Amino acid sequence: MRFVPKKPPEGINVSEVHPLAEAGTLILGLSIIFTAIALALVFFVDVILIIVPKETEAKLFSSWTPDDLIPIVADDERVSETRALVKRLAHHWPDSPYTFRLEVSEAESPNAMAFPGGLIVVTTALLDRVETENELAFVLGHELGHFRNRDHLRQLGRGVVLGIFFTVLSNNEGSANLGISIADLTLRGFSREQESDADSFALEIVYAEYGHVDRSWSFFDRKIEDDYGSSDLVSYFSTHPSASDRIEDLKRYAETHGWPLTGPIECLTW
Amino acid sequence: MTGQIELMVNFGIPLLLLIVAYFIGNAIEKRHYKQIRHREEKVHGFPVITFDTLPLDWQVGSAEMVTGNVVISLDYFKRIIAGLRGIIGGRVKTYEPLLDRARREALLRMIEDAKARGYNAVVNVRLETSRLANARKDGKGTAGVEMLAFGTAITLI
Repeated sequence: MRFVPKKPPEGINVSEVHPLAEAGTLILGLSIIFTAIALALVFFVDVILIIVPKETEAKLFSSWTPDDLIPIVADDERVSETRALVKRLAHHWPDSPYTFRLEVSEAESPNAMAFPGGLIVVTTALLDRVETENELAFVLGHELGHFRNRDHLRQLGRGVVLGIFFTVLSNNEGSANLGISIADLTLRGFSREQESDADSFALEIVYAEYGHVDRSWSFFDRKIEDDYGSSDLVSYFSTHPSASDRIEDLKRYAETHGWPLTGPIECLTW
Repeated sequence: MTGQIELMVNFGIPLLLLIVAYFIGNAIEKRHYKQIRHREEKVHGFPVITFDTLPLDWQVGSAEMVTGNVVISLDYFKRIIAGLRGIIGGRVKTYEPLLDRARREALLRMIEDAKARGYNAVVNVRLETSRLANARKDGKGTAGVEMLAFGTAITLI
């Protein structure tokens, strides 16, 4: 028997596909699939919310407070005045099943949050930076808008959706990052829509209370100086629409309803 | 401002890492292939066969076991793409050049070992692969692939 050596041919054990092409197909395909799954889960959350009415929610959470919250009781003047303002604004939404409560929490950044059961929490930084009662009324009205649309429960559902994605995909290195990012992005789109709706409701409440919408959004006007001019791409990735977009939308909303843009301003007692 | 930072952290940095890993990994792979082909030219004609019994007309003078092994690591790009494949299934085409290189490199090292010791051929050649696990707690994840080629080197009278 003779040994006859031949030159080994190339490319038999290696596929013809370019790695970048394969990467592109995989990433694109999976992004589409993950977006579809995220949308389906969001729809599912919405269906659940229809099944659980506001009255049940109000009853279940009527005395609940979040554990990591530190309410300020010391600063009497601001808390009681803000609470009174919330009551006055709530009158313009007579069908609400909630008894609204207000707490103040110590924090560095101005924020207002809506919790299940009709609890609104504002931070001390917010009360520090607010200049007129009209502004504060707008912020509180915005939170009332969230209650009306049940956004706080939707956001809880969003947390659960992300949690599901993370648990199911965490075994797989590549897809965990991609899946979570895609789900997060999809949900932020809904979040921006919720913020817009809450803004519109806030404007309605402010108009009902004061008869005009002057200085309602001056809080955002001041915040614009902090924005480094958000590009479209950054806006796409945020949970809130950019401050300038919000102001534009609010102006247009007021104009379509024919609400006066000037009027007497109420001052705060602090 | 935070929006831009978040954008960069969530998408920009992983994407950049992926692209850099791809280009570096690709360059390393091409260079390795070039080296492999060059060495295959040099040992061309050296008999390497998988028979465990020899042809009757071959007379063996001396025999010894020879081995060649190599460890090749994955790069970030390959790992991510293979992870995505793990959901859908199908051929993991990015791993194929990896295993091809490992096999050829291991065989080359075995042949070079035999040649260096003065043998004429290597018979009963076998290949073994094992996956080197990550240092992660659950042992999942692949740090690299080890390929071992071994056989019996003989001198022919």
